This record gives sequence, structure tokens and C-alpha cells, in this order.
Amino acid sequence: QEVTLTLEHFLPAQANVPRLVLDVWADKVEADSEGRIKIERYPTMQLGGTPPELIDHVQDGIADIGWTVVGYTPGRFPRTEVFELPFMVEDARAASYAFNKMYQEQMADQDFAGLHILGTWVHGPGLFHTKDPVAKPADLQGMKIRGGARLVNDLLTRVGAEPIGMPVPAVSEALSKGVLDGTTIPWEVTPAVKVSELVGNHTEFEGPGLYTLTFVLAMNEDTYASMPEDLQAVLDANSGVDFSIFAGGTQADADAPARKIAVERGNNIMTISAEQAQADWAPIVDPIYASWIADMEGKGIDGQALIDEAKKLMSEYTSDMDTWGK
Amino acid sequence: MSNLEIGILSFPFLLGLIFLRVPIGLAMFSTGFGGMWLVMGNTRLPMAQLKDLAYTTFSNYSLSIVPMFLLMGYFATLGGMSQALFKAAESFLGHRRGGVAMAAIGACAGFGAICGSSLATAATMSRVALPELKSYGYKGGFSTATLAAGGTLGILIPPSVVLVIYAILTEQNIAKLFLAAFIPGILAAIGYMIAVSIYVRRHPDAAGVREPVPMSERFQALINVWPVLLVFIAVVGGIYGGIFTPTEGAAVGALGTGIIALSSGGLTWRTLIDSFTDTARSSAMIFFIVLGAAFYNGFLARTRVPQELSAWVVDLGLSPLMVLAAILVLYLIFGCFMDSLSMILLTIPIFFPVISALDFGMSAEHVAIWFGILVLIVVEVGLITPPVGMNLFVINAMDPETPMVETYKAVLYYVVSDLVRVVLLVAFPAITLFLIP
Amino acid sequence: MQSVHRLVLGIARLMAMLGGAVLTLLILITCISILGRASNSVLHAMASAGILPGMAQGLIDAGVGAIRGDFEMVEAGMAFCIFAFLPFCTVTGGHASVDVFTNFLPRGVNRVLEVLIAALFAAVLVVIAMQLNEGFARKLNSGQTSLLLEFPIWWSYALSLFGAVMSAAVGVYVALVRLIELLTGRAIMPNAVGADH
Ligand code: NA
Ligand code: NA
Repeated sequence: QEVTLTLEHFLPAQANVPRLVLDVWADKVEADSEGRIKIERYPTMQLGGTPPELIDHVQDGIADIGWTVVGYTPGRFPRTEVFELPFMVEDARAASYAFNKMYQEQMADQDFAGLHILGTWVHGPGLFHTKDPVAKPADLQGMKIRGGARLVNDLLTRVGAEPIGMPVPAVSEALSKGVLDGTTIPWEVTPAVKVSELVGNHTEFEGPGLYTLTFVLAMNEDTYASMPEDLQAVLDANSGVDFSIFAGGTQADADAPARKIAVERGNNIMTISAEQAQADWAPIVDPIYASWIADMEGKGIDGQALIDEAKKLMSEYTSDMDTWGK
Repeated sequence: MSNLEIGILSFPFLLGLIFLRVPIGLAMFSTGFGGMWLVMGNTRLPMAQLKDLAYTTFSNYSLSIVPMFLLMGYFATLGGMSQALFKAAESFLGHRRGGVAMAAIGACAGFGAICGSSLATAATMSRVALPELKSYGYKGGFSTATLAAGGTLGILIPPSVVLVIYAILTEQNIAKLFLAAFIPGILAAIGYMIAVSIYVRRHPDAAGVREPVPMSERFQALINVWPVLLVFIAVVGGIYGGIFTPTEGAAVGALGTGIIALSSGGLTWRTLIDSFTDTARSSAMIFFIVLGAAFYNGFLARTRVPQELSAWVVDLGLSPLMVLAAILVLYLIFGCFMDSLSMILLTIPIFFPVISALDFGMSAEHVAIWFGILVLIVVEVGLITPPVGMNLFVINAMDPETPMVETYKAVLYYVVSDLVRVVLLVAFPAITLFLIP
Repeated sequence: MQSVHRLVLGIARLMAMLGGAVLTLLILITCISILGRASNSVLHAMASAGILPGMAQGLIDAGVGAIRGDFEMVEAGMAFCIFAFLPFCTVTGGHASVDVFTNFLPRGVNRVLEVLIAALFAAVLVVIAMQLNEGFARKLNSGQTSLLLEFPIWWSYALSLFGAVMSAAVGVYVALVRLIELLTGRAIMPNAVGADH
């Protein structure tokens, strides 16, 4: 092959996203290039360092391509936080579509300047996985709960939990040692970090999710620029809005089988109805919108406009836009 | 030269540097840097890696346990707690040759269980136990080897970080793995006790023996231990009870022993400064090794040596047991240069599917658990097999008077005990799987 | 020369003590945080069980609980501690090494080795400090903060950079001393580990 690219991420190779999204993508790129591109995959941070460094690894070319949670580097990509707001996202495909549109419109030259972004997406609805049952915010009082991003930790603080920030691979060790009483993550990643074995209770929300996290598949700009044009075209054909919809959708579709594992273990799954969520949870978490808008204003960003734009784009999404790989 | 060749040649090169008295951390760092330079054709990549790697290694939350426990160890000595503890152990076991060494192994295992890192365990226990062992007439090499070996036991006692990682990589049940580690852990302790008794029989001068102490005196010695017990119960109970993290437990221990040392008059301005400088030396030494290992292991991953060697073993077309044996030997070799976690992360994704595909006459889950426990043990044995073993290096550095060779000679007894145990566990999978439903 | 050595040793010891003081601070923060967390749980239990609920809720509202961001403080502080510890370890020869084979080499060869190793160490420490400075510069402009306290990440990089620069300086000093020792045949710095005790 002509070009060997390294692809680095933080999850084990057989976890849902590496297996169903990243491998599928990398295999397709290899095939579309007729073997001229080879993508070497390094799961579980095998090249060294910690998950928050992934984006720097890509910027410096330590890895050519990296998949990371945007929230692991708080403050660095402020506009993406619009999708982390509570009860903002219901459909991961629609949100991934909106995220990619907004990336192209305004984030590419600002938040992500210096990086070549291949895909942008969000996971399915985030929820609580706890050792003791949680039905109302009061049940979370004093619990040590892991959050993966700045706004999630803000949310945890508001409901009275003690937020502990750590990347997802650290969760199983922390749960098994008793460092955590619970964690927020989507269903999809629970098998990979054994969460359903380590806790017995799950609290999910009907309708819009409590929160979501945003992801990017990022590439080193110089590596991209150094590739021959026809190989750049192969990458271009496999990045952008349709790939982002595929990635977000596939990740969200993996929620159901993961949830089934918890059901089969006999874990207690509590589903908060949309009315209950409005009555018990919304009054506590909704002020996050106002504080976030104020936050953004301090950075010279119009937060309300981002919220409006995200909502407009999400409602614009239709299933016939889901075309990548089909 | 291909990347693979560079990676393989880095083993003898690193070994050469270490034998030329280049500090371990520096040797690994330089080999990793030079290797990456050769692989990439320029220094851009290793240089870029250094922008964050040193900072993130030194700020690793789990590793914060090391300086805190080291300081605790110093305070425990200043407060007379270590002495009281060993006095009690001696009054019960001192009339048996090697009895205090056995007690030290027990203490190492207990400590390793909460600390999770055999390197940190070895370092902390040397701080506490080395002076005591010597004052009971134990020879330097025997003492250092005993603590190095004892430090590897903790990994079998839950909550073991490496076991959790193995469970995640192989999608196995964590609780069953913890359960499976139980009997091999007991066997390890028994094996080490036997190693001690054989060693002292062949080297009677290596360990002091005392007259048996009357029962009343024994209980008096036990009573004097209460401050240690108090701190120990707070630290261990808190960690196992899920009240605090191991790092937080280390902070509690350091504060507790500090207060006791202060109230007993052992902690003064002068000794505080000594404890700071001593903690500084040992912590910097250990963290620099960890940094070097992180750098070197990143280089190895990029050359794909662990992956390719693993694939090569698989392709040899051996019988299932021979494949298993070859894999275990490979782990012993990797154990010289890599830390346990990097080894598991790089090789399990390749070895595990292979082992799963072979027929050992057991269910897939049983094979996975059995293999996991075997790997766990062998990885730790690598840390104490001469001539290159991280545990040996660290402990020997904490005891300037003992030549490395003395540590090598004594540790062989423990290594033999380890190897016998591995052979037993390979030959009789039922030992590991006995408790598994 | 001896007075220069005493000065460097003194500075290295001062750094170690500074690191020790920060370590002590981190230990205290952690213990206070545990205490706060435990009290917080007790107060919640009291409030929900109706034992002095007003007082319990009042104390909770007053902020009795874990120290926010205690993990982050430990991480940032510990990086500083280790960088502050490095100069003392380096100047007193505290890094673990294996002397099994070099014992058989002639004295002259050993002295040359000593110089080469010290030079390599100096180079590595200088590179580490230089690159940490690069990392620091990037964090300075990126707007990246810590997750909970949301303090700029570059603060902790700056603290560590101070220690890294001192370590590099001490590394270079040790290399120079070893060279002077080789050239003049004088012993300025003891060879053995644990020289300072
Ligand atoms: Na353990
Ligand atoms: Na070894």
C-alpha cells in the first residue's frame, strides 16, 4: 500500500463503536482505495497516554487519525457543548446530522481549526447506572457519579450528586473499587466496561435523553494534505454528514442489545416517563441552559443562536439522509 | 531495517544499557526515543509525545498513591509503629528461622492488595520493613528478595486492576475471575513460605533466630501494635468498604501515622525534612522508571513487536499445551521490559482469540478464566526474574548496601516456587476453576 | 567547587521540601474532603430520617461535603511534586541502576561511563523541560480547563515546568561535575548511591 495511517482510540477493539463504526469505516476506506490505504488500529490507548490527550495526538501526528470524546478537553471546543445540554437530543441520527451541519457552518474554522475532521456525531440517550436505585433527583444526593463532560458534571452537581470526572475506560476499575457509586453513560458502552455487572440499577428517560456526549473522528491536517489527491478523494467520500449520521445512528442502535444484557442479569431498570421528567428533573436541570448561554457570551459566542440552530437542524433530519455504506 | 527488526533489536540494546549501569528509567527512555527516531526517520514524533507524556504520567491519579504511601512508611518508622509491628511478628514467629521474613511476605501481600501496583508495594514495604528485617539479623539480599517477591502477591488479591482490565479485554465476568484468583493466591503464599524455609535451611546465617518468647510477652507486644492496627484498619477497611479510593486511603494513612509520630515525639522539624527528602528521592526514582517504561512501551507498540511475536508463536503450529507454554514464556520475557498493564493491553487481544480457539477439553469460559489467572501470575513473575526485573531494581535501589548479585541469588528461590506453581496450575486447571460455578 | 556543590545540593533539597510541603497539602485536602463527604452522607441520612432536619439541611446548604475537584487538585499537585523531587534524586544519584557487570570493569572505564551517563541524563532532562514548555504553550492558547474546577490547564503545566527546568539545570550541573572529575581526577560528588545520608 501507498499510505499507512494509524487510528488510535480509547476503547477495547471489540467494543461497539470500534467494531460497528470504526472498523467498518476503516475497512471501507481500505477497500475503496483498492488496498492503497492501510489503516493500522491501536485500541485502548496502546500508543501511550490518556484519552484526553487523543486530540493532541492527532494534532501532533502521534496518531494520524483519532476517535475521541470532545468533552474530555473541556473549554477547547465550546460550541459542541450545545448537544450536551440536558434533554436536548432525542434521536442520535438527527443530532449527528445537525452537529455535522453546524461543524461545516461554523465550528470547522473556529473550534476545530488545525484539524481535519472526518466525522462528528453523538451517542444515544445518556442515563444513570447506579449501585442504589435512583427515581428522583433526591436519590442521587451525595452519590459519587462519574460524568464525561463539563455540562454533565454541572448537571450532576445540580441534582445533588458528587460529580467525579474521568474517561470511560477508568469507570470499571473505579466502580469495582468503590470509588464511584454510579456513572452516566449510554447503554451501548455498558458491556465494554462491564457496568451492568458492577451496578444493579439503571435509570433511563423516556423521550429526550438526560444528556449526550459528542464525538469526533479527527485526522492530522498535514497527513491529509500529504496524501495523493485520489486517495484524499477516497477519504472525502467516506467523511462528512452521511458518515456522521451512520456513526451516530449505529452507536445508538447498539443501545438495545446492551440494555438486554442488563435485563437478562435481572438488574433493576427504572424508566422515567416524560411527565415525571418534566415534573421532577426539568426544574432542577433546565437552569443549565441559561448559565451555559451566559458562559458562551463570556467567550463571545451566541449560545441561544446555537441552541436554535441545533433544534432547527435536528427537526430538519429525515431518514432518507442515512445513506453511508448503503 | 524494518520496524519489527528495530523493535526486536531494542531488547538487547536496552539490556546492554542497563548492564552498563545506565539508570533503568533513563535506559528505557533513551531506547524508546532512539527507536522511535529510527522507525520514523526523524525526532518529530517522540518530541511531540513529550509535550504531554511527562506531565500526564506524573499527574496520574492512581500513581499518586506512591509518594503518599512512602511518606506514610517514613512516619510509621518515626512513630515507632514499624518497630512495634515487627516486634509483635518476631515474638510470635522469631523463634522459627525465617519467621519474620514470612510475616513480611504476608504484609507485602496485604499491602499489594490495596495498592494495586507491585512496584509501589515493593518500594513502600522496603521503606518500612528493610531496616526491621536487618535489625533481626536478616541478610540484605535475602531481605530485598523477600520484599520483591512479596510485592508480586498483591495482584492476585482483589481488587486487582490488571484482572479488571483482563476481564474487559476478554469480556469475562469480573467476579468469577476474582474468585478464580483465590486458590492460586493461597498457593502462592504457601509456596513462598516453603521457599523461605528452604532458603534458611541452606543459608542458616541469613536469618536470625531468637529464644521463644513467653506468651505474656507476646500479648504485650501485640498490645503495643494498636496504633498500627488502628491506622491499618482505617486504611484497609476504608478502601475495601468503598469509603475511599486507594489514593485517598494512602492520604489517610499518611496523616494518621503522621499524627501518631508527632504525638510520640518521633516527628520533629529535623525528621520531617528527612522524610520529605527521602520520599522525594524514592518517588522521583519510581516515577522516572514509570515514565521511561511508558515511552518505551509506546515505541514497542508502534513497531508491533508484541503483536508480531504473538502472531509468530501462533503460527508455529504447535499442540495446544505447547502454544500455551510458548505464550507463557513470551510473557516472562516481556516481563523484563514492560509493565504488567502495557503487556496485557498489547498482547491479550492477539493471544486470547488463539487460546479460545484451541481445545483444552474445557468450556470456553473456563479456558478464559484459567488462561487469565496464568497470564496474571507469569506477568508478575517477570518482575522478579533476574537479570532484569523492575521489582528487583527498585528494591535494590532502596538498599544501597546490598549488591544486586545478592538479591539475584536469593530471589531465585522465589522464582522457582513461582515456576512450580505455574506448572501445577497448567497441569491441573481444576485448581483454578475449583471455586467457579 | 565544594561550595558550588553545597549550593546546588541546597537548592535541590529546597525543591524537595517544597514538593514535600505540597504533598502534605494534598494529603490534608484529601483527608478533609473524605471527612466532608462522610459528614455530608450522615447529614443527608439525618435530614431524611427527620433527626434535626433543619440543622442537617442547613449544614448541607452551607457546603459541608467533599471538596469540589479534589481529584484534580491531587493530579495537578502531584505532577508538581514529582518534578520538584527530580533535582534532589538526580544530584544525590538516587536513580535505580544495576552495577553487577560494571564492577568488573577497570576504574577508568567506569569513570568515563559515569560521564557519559550523566551527559545522557542531562540531555534527556533538558529535552523533557523543552517539550513540556511546548505543551504548556499549547495549553496556554487552547482554552482547555479542568473538568470540575474549570481552572485553565496551563496553570498546572506552568507549575510542573518550574520543576522540570530546575531538574534540567541540575542534570546539566551533574554532567559538568562528572566531566571535571574525570579531567582533574578529583572527587567532588560521591559516586555511591545514598551519598547524602
Ligand atoms: Na490487588
Ligand atoms: Na524479569
